[in-house]
Amino acid sequence: MRDCESIRESIGRWLDGELDTAESEAISAHLASCGECKKAQRQLETMQQALKTALLTEAQKVEFLPFWRGVQVRLARKAAWYEHPLARARETFTLSRAAWLVPASIAVVLAVLSLESYIPGWREGRNSNSFANVESIDAYGRNVALLRENESKTTVIWLYEDQEGENESADESAKSAPAF
Amino acid sequence: MELSDRDLVRRCQAGDMGSFQELVSRYHQKVYMVILGLLHNRDDALEVAQETFFRAYRKIRSFEGGSSFYTWIYRIAVNLAIDAQRRQKRNPLDFRETMDSAVEAQQETARDPFADVHDRELRESLIRAINDLTPEHKAVIVLRTIEGLSYKDIGEILGCSEGTVMSRLHYARKKLQDKLSAFL
Repeated sequence: MRDCESIRESIGRWLDGELDTAESEAISAHLASCGECKKAQRQLETMQQALKTALLTEAQKVEFLPFWRGVQVRLARKAAWYEHPLARARETFTLSRAAWLVPASIAVVLAVLSLESYIPGWREGRNSNSFANVESIDAYGRNVALLRENESKTTVIWLYEDQEGENESADESAKSAPAF
Repeated sequence: MELSDRDLVRRCQAGDMGSFQELVSRYHQKVYMVILGLLHNRDDALEVAQETFFRAYRKIRSFEGGSSFYTWIYRIAVNLAIDAQRRQKRNPLDFRETMDSAVEAQQETARDPFADVHDRELRESLIRAINDLTPEHKAVIVLRTIEGLSYKDIGEILGCSEGTVMSRLHYARKKLQDKLSAFL
């Protein structure tokens, strides 16, 4: 025998016809003999009826022809230039179909990052608004730096000594020298 | 002989605008009711209802008939209404005004003046109580109350399981009953 609390928990589903036959019959039998649960059932029905009546009254005021004209106006409206591609993209790139985009994006990012090792300085080269570029070249064993000023097309060339290289060679000669 | 929804959809997919018009005629009031239940504003509900059919027409070719037409159209309507509700910052009093006029219309034909006052108070409190529910809870109450849809259909429309529909309905009804206990 079910208690009133559990019966009231199920009254909603009983009214909705979502219970199996055995459960439904048990609820019906209980409601026939329990005034409090019957009252709960009536409250629920009154509430639903009130909402339905209120909304139904409003909906009945919506006449078909003016409504249909509103839909037609929308249908006749010329779609903005960006709506078709966007709609097509939304249909094409559904969540399941777009799953490949994740590894593809990672691959593109990695490729861009590794580009630096293949084309040194490509990132700096993109900036065409810079005042001047400096590049270093090896001119037959001498260190030469070129400074190109973009606006006046001036190039300044200067030779310099590689201190680091000298130090390294000095270290090497020191290593090869006797240690006393 | 009246054509079924499925037949009308097929004709519509073949480009027959008359069939689409028939579908709109069958469902416009029901779709409007569901949206009004969620949006609480007559003008917004009308806009969203028309937009629902416009979107449905544009997508009708992709409708494969896996579900019934009404579940499909309600799904579009509920999604648009929930989106609109999240965007709108309007005063919910709009809906109270809307519903008040509905109650007044009923009073004209009512017999017992005391019953009228009671009904009016009940509906006003009901609207206030529904306004306090989340869009998801409102949606289950409205779909169940208006159309008497099964939990399975409501689940399909809202994209959730029957169990979720059941628990949302239970919660929403309990909440409404608690708030309306003085009138019920």
